[in-house]
Amino acid sequence: MPTLIKHDKIMEDDWAIVEVEAPADGIRRIVPLEAWLPESGDGLLLQGECEPDARYCVAPLIAINFLVFSDGRGLSLAVLLRSRFDFTGELRAVGDVHPDLLYYLNRCGFDSYLMPDERSAQTALSTLAPYTDYYQASVLEPNPAHRRTRRFA
Amino acid sequence: MYRYDSFDQKFVDERVVHYRAQTERYLAGELPEDEFLQLRLRNGLYIQRLAPMLRVAVPYGILDSRQLRTLAHIARHYDRGYGHLSTRQNVQFNWPELAEVPDILQDLAEVQMHAIQTSGSCIRNITTDQFAGVSEDESVDPRPYCELIRQWSTSHPEFDWLPRKFKIAVTGASVDRAAVDVHDIGLVVFRTDSDEIQFDVKVGGGLGRTPVIGQMIRRGLPVRHLLTYLEAILRVYNRYGRRDNKYKARIKILVRAMTADGFRDKVDAEWAHLEGSPSTLTDEDLARMQAHFQPYPYDSQPASIDTLGSQRLEECAFDAWVRHNVAPHKQPGYAIVTLSTKLTGVPPGDVSDVQMDLVADWADRYGFGEIRISHEQNFVLPDVRFEQLFELWQQATSAQLGANNVGLLSDMICCPGGDYCSLANAKSIPLAEAIQRKFDSYDYQHDLGPLDLNISGCMNACGHHHVGHIGILGVDKKGAEFYQVSLGGHAGNGASLGQIIGPSFSRKDVPDTIETILQVYLDLRHEDEPFLLCFRRVGMDPFKERVYANPD
Ligand code: SF4
Repeated sequence: MPTLIKHDKIMEDDWAIVEVEAPADGIRRIVPLEAWLPESGDGLLLQGECEPDARYCVAPLIAINFLVFSDGRGLSLAVLLRSRFDFTGELRAVGDVHPDLLYYLNRCGFDSYLMPDERSAQTALSTLAPYTDYYQASVLEPNPAHRRTRRFA
Repeated sequence: MYRYDSFDQKFVDERVVHYRAQTERYLAGELPEDEFLQLRLRNGLYIQRLAPMLRVAVPYGILDSRQLRTLAHIARHYDRGYGHLSTRQNVQFNWPELAEVPDILQDLAEVQMHAIQTSGSCIRNITTDQFAGVSEDESVDPRPYCELIRQWSTSHPEFDWLPRKFKIAVTGASVDRAAVDVHDIGLVVFRTDSDEIQFDVKVGGGLGRTPVIGQMIRRGLPVRHLLTYLEAILRVYNRYGRRDNKYKARIKILVRAMTADGFRDKVDAEWAHLEGSPSTLTDEDLARMQAHFQPYPYDSQPASIDTLGSQRLEECAFDAWVRHNVAPHKQPGYAIVTLSTKLTGVPPGDVSDVQMDLVADWADRYGFGEIRISHEQNFVLPDVRFEQLFELWQQATSAQLGANNVGLLSDMICCPGGDYCSLANAKSIPLAEAIQRKFDSYDYQHDLGPLDLNISGCMNACGHHHVGHIGILGVDKKGAEFYQVSLGGHAGNGASLGQIIGPSFSRKDVPDTIETILQVYLDLRHEDEPFLLCFRRVGMDPFKERVYANPD
């Protein structure tokens, strides 16, 4: 069963990606771009290759779908939504989200991950932060490492 | 050379732990084969025809004697006693055990080395001029910028899952020894009249199935913008590069589809948002990095060149070695020495653990402990004093590293081919050997003059056959190994792609075909006219006629 990771732990999911059916009570909808209305309060589902747009930023949640985990377009889209369009809502990775890749995803601005099953969610939690720090700037860290810590000692 | 600080060290140490855990999960059956593949590729581990192949990063081809001794140790302990110098200035091991790779990485990390991003669809090892920092014809030392790019591109959050592999080369000399025109990004760094450091930026060059010469998209980019401009290029490529067909996924295809102007516009529009962002390099950033690459304490009383003169007169093999393998150094009294791995009977680029240890010893004795690897798959000792050349030559000769053939026919570039590589159409190493045997005579090779002969076992072009003056490509003809020959390629300044001469040849016919081609050249050349210029003057026809003439 798909399992949500948010704030570095497994959480109940109160959002559902809907195609036709209405979600159960108390569950909010994530809908594809064609069905999305800015005022609706619905979450927005984008594909990795989508062009980002300032209009999307009123969505409380944007989910970016990874068709395959090795397709990096969703990473660039996330970076643009966060850094260029100042999207401040929840940014969720869905689709083929690989448990070993969360340390890329979070530096690109994702803050929740819908893992394909509970097992991969457990694996993901065990490998969330394999590195203490990274060289370059990112959505999480606007400054490169040498600007933040003493480098070249 | 660059030395790790605690930040770098921690990063590679953590990389070992991280990769070890991934390997353990794979071996325990918790990580499926196809998923582990992507993860191990980001760490240089391929599964080849016979065994895994581990590619160790040698950042821009520079290493020190301690690091080279560790590579010798790895060859001895985890492999079959040898390693392979690649055309990307890296070192490959052909026989490691998958389960032992984490231990190898641990050994590497202890000497400030790793295998990060040496394969996979990500930014690969940055390459540069093997004479960087010491050559006479250099206007700006490219090494500090290579290191800045290395750090910036290491585990980049956004650019580690690109459509395809991505290669960046940098040169700062008037002779382009880094082949910047055939890289995804080629950077030429120079100093302006007002003493500012700037870059010319070329994109979309590359070999492989669709060879292309890179196109200039930006002239005179001020150095402070280097990383933000690269970020703009990579973002455009990551978002718009094709992912539906791996043969059309390199940036060259995107640049061609958008046209160079269209691509430049897209990059400039992206860069408009990034210009001045915190990744912009400050004077302090640049000064700190440049401080890592200060000249060594050279002897300011250069030795007289006279001793060399008499030694050259006495030993004609030494004289030839000096002529071909020794390049001018910017410091008087010093020379840059290329130790050729291209000895007949030895696969080009293969070096034994014993040879690696010896080269490390020579680097300490005849220099400041530094070694380079050239993309022509040779070792380079960058700081040898004139009066030590003779002794070094003697030792190199007895260790089978003294071939006096740099730049000549037998100094060929050759990929591992069908003996090792699972993608190959044909073997390349035995063919290289057959050609070396046929043209064994130094006098003949010397008479031919500078000649690049490059061999690839398949279209992937790891042996850079498109840019060989003579290029040989392994092709599959109804299940049999055949070879296509091209002429007129060139990798340096004024790069060009070879043209195919005609139908392909069987392996046994290739050496004779090469002989015919060389004879046509010898017949037609003007005095002192090198092969490439002669070919450019006379064109393909005379070669074609003689090669395909009906034998009586
Ligand atoms: S050119 Fe082909 S055969 Fe040679 S190493 Fe590359 S992929 Fe293998």
